[in-house]
Amino acid sequence: MNIKTWIKGIMLGILVSAIPGYAKEIKLLNVSYDPTRELYQEFNKAFAAYWKEKTGDTVVINQSHGGSGKQARAVIDGLEADVVTLALAYDIDAIAEKVKLFPKTWQSRLPNNSSPYTSTIVFLVRKGNPKQIKDWDDLIKPGVSIITPNPKTSGGARWNYLAAWAFALEHYKIQHPDQKDAEKSSEADAYAREFVGKLFKNVPVLDSGARGATTTFVQREIGDVFLSWENEAFLAIKEFGADKFEIVIPSLSILAEPPVTVVDKVVDRRGTREVAQAYLEFLYSEKGQDIAARNFYRPRLESVAKKYAEQFPEVKMITIDAVFGGWQKAQKRHFDDGGVFDQIYGIK
Amino acid sequence: MVKVYAVWIVLGVLFLSGRAFPENEPAGSMEERIDEIKSLEKRIIELEQQQKILARKWEIEQQAAAEKAKASPVVTATSKDGFSLKSADGDFSLRFRGLIQADTRSVSGSSGSLADDTFTLRRVRPIFEGTLWKDIDFKIVPDFGGGSSSLQDAYLDFKFLPEFKVRAGRFKSPFGIERLQSCSDTLFNELGLPSNLTPNYDIGAAIFGDLYEGKLGYTLGVLNGAADNASIDSDIDNNKEVAARLFANPWKGEDSFLGGLGVGFAATYGIKDGTSGSTYLPTYKTIGQADLFKYASGVVSDGAQERYSPQLYYSYGSFGVLAEYITSSRKVSKAAATEKLTNKGWQVAASYVLTGEDATYKSVIPRKPVNFTEGSYGAWEVVARFGRLDIDSDTFPTYASSTSYPETATNIGAGLNWYWNRNVKWALDYDWTSFDKGSTKGDRKDEHAIIGRVQLTF
Repeated sequence: MNIKTWIKGIMLGILVSAIPGYAKEIKLLNVSYDPTRELYQEFNKAFAAYWKEKTGDTVVINQSHGGSGKQARAVIDGLEADVVTLALAYDIDAIAEKVKLFPKTWQSRLPNNSSPYTSTIVFLVRKGNPKQIKDWDDLIKPGVSIITPNPKTSGGARWNYLAAWAFALEHYKIQHPDQKDAEKSSEADAYAREFVGKLFKNVPVLDSGARGATTTFVQREIGDVFLSWENEAFLAIKEFGADKFEIVIPSLSILAEPPVTVVDKVVDRRGTREVAQAYLEFLYSEKGQDIAARNFYRPRLESVAKKYAEQFPEVKMITIDAVFGGWQKAQKRHFDDGGVFDQIYGIK
Repeated sequence: MVKVYAVWIVLGVLFLSGRAFPENEPAGSMEERIDEIKSLEKRIIELEQQQKILARKWEIEQQAAAEKAKASPVVTATSKDGFSLKSADGDFSLRFRGLIQADTRSVSGSSGSLADDTFTLRRVRPIFEGTLWKDIDFKIVPDFGGGSSSLQDAYLDFKFLPEFKVRAGRFKSPFGIERLQSCSDTLFNELGLPSNLTPNYDIGAAIFGDLYEGKLGYTLGVLNGAADNASIDSDIDNNKEVAARLFANPWKGEDSFLGGLGVGFAATYGIKDGTSGSTYLPTYKTIGQADLFKYASGVVSDGAQERYSPQLYYSYGSFGVLAEYITSSRKVSKAAATEKLTNKGWQVAASYVLTGEDATYKSVIPRKPVNFTEGSYGAWEVVARFGRLDIDSDTFPTYASSTSYPETATNIGAGLNWYWNRNVKWALDYDWTSFDKGSTKGDRKDEHAIIGRVQLTF
């Protein structure tokens, strides 16, 4: 090999080494509901590490948190989310319906109706349970002060409301064992309406989101019982101590399935589709499911669910489809302006 | 014995109070007291809860109000910025400002197209400015002065970086330092003689920016190419004009004698091919707005035009001076004759703010706005200028009439500006202009122009 060849080789080597790496920095915005802060703090770190290893690119995920309904409205009003991870399907449907940022069939694009984890509603009470709250019917007793967010803005509050309503229907059914389909009767409906009305009469403060309600109950020490997302209740105990609070599992609760989706028009405009899709798919991976479970969300993956089985108590859960005919019907009847909640709470 | 009596007295007192023999107390009273105490405790707890609830409700209301304020647009009306509407995040804004100049003019001497002494609305300009998406500015300024309507500024600025911005639309050609001043900020009511050699509004695109922390500004534009002392709305030929300007303030921001010194250089180059219908040639005006110079009939611009202008602005405390030298060379032709003609002009204009405020390239802002009852009288500024315009002697007689237009005009001016506040200004100028030639009897008569103005800007 002559000297010219050597020189060419060296020059080529210098050139190649001088070529900058193609690693880039990608930013995503995840618009989420209120109580998922800790979950996504941990999850985002894990995903960023995973993506860096896989592609060499740096992913920076910015989070926005708030009441699920409020967050949906923010996206409708122009907040450019790459992904939305909200408390209930109706809020994501509203985005698809009003501004068509993704197709109406979004829920079928990921497994389990695009809900990588589930949760439910439990009661968080003061240590020792001084008001002896054991079930939903204890909440309507005089002198019991209940903390729940506002169903007009919070997804968790809507789950609370519907769980209470479902309990009332079930309670009516138990009281009328001889009546066929008692829980579907108009009398049962009236009973449930009265029950939920009494419940909300015991609510002194309505926060806009679940995290605000946690602050009210835990830090401001207001109320005797907090109708809480299961994960929020566990987090409160973890953070503030099992000597201050305890969890009461009601006889009946609701299966909450917080869904997620990529916001197609935003990711296509920004060129972040591949990362955004991978981000949500990572929620379904073993690592993602493990993180969810560690943050007290009930995982879908069988293997992870078994690993954390002891962490999650047995709860009898109804589904929104079975009792209310789905979110569209429930939202329209109970939470739209002028709906049952407005009538109960006296909002004009 | 005294001690025994004392004990009996004490026991007696205790007996009467019921404390000595508690087993004799009625059975319910202790329990009642305990119940009472428990009831009071319960009541205190309830009151504490009520107090906490009220405090929390207040906190939630404050949070909601703060969030709402974040999303709410901000409406302001100020003497500095006029009326404005701004989005909560500042990315969008609309400002409405205005300029009204009401003049009184008395001009004698000169010749030709001399207007009658008159009151006139020199400029009436609503000014619409704003920002879109944080990085795009716009400005639209129509003018209704003199009873006619025209468009002045209409452009967009794309602010990529402070060092690199792009302007597109209709704007002042980046050339003459006096011409580039806002018409509300000029020292005199009318521009000096050399500004006749500068282009006014043109249409095109330019890149511009500030370098070295604002100490060096640059503009480089490609425009249709307006004639001297003229504006243009659409090109007359297929050629364009390049305009470039550099302006440096090397000691900007420093507390030094030279802190207010700015020096610059501007140039334009373009090909201007006129026709008999659109000659592409300028008309120069005197201070009193009479015709100072026009090319003869049949003359057209025919080829390249170059302009150069070294320029300066300096201020130190209440003293300010503006100076520029301008050459404007162009090829003209008439029938078979072609000539390259170079007109030149220069001026020095000085100002001094008698009331002590700083002289600036922009308007003086009085420390104490006019308030006669409190004995404050705004800011007073005296101004003076000396300037000259030379028409190329080769212009005469082929390309212009020497008995109609002078070869040289020399101007001395003095004036007084009274700034009531940052919005209102009264100004009175006197300009004396003498001429070489330009009349059948030799030199054109001297022009004496007295121009008074009341100006409102907001």
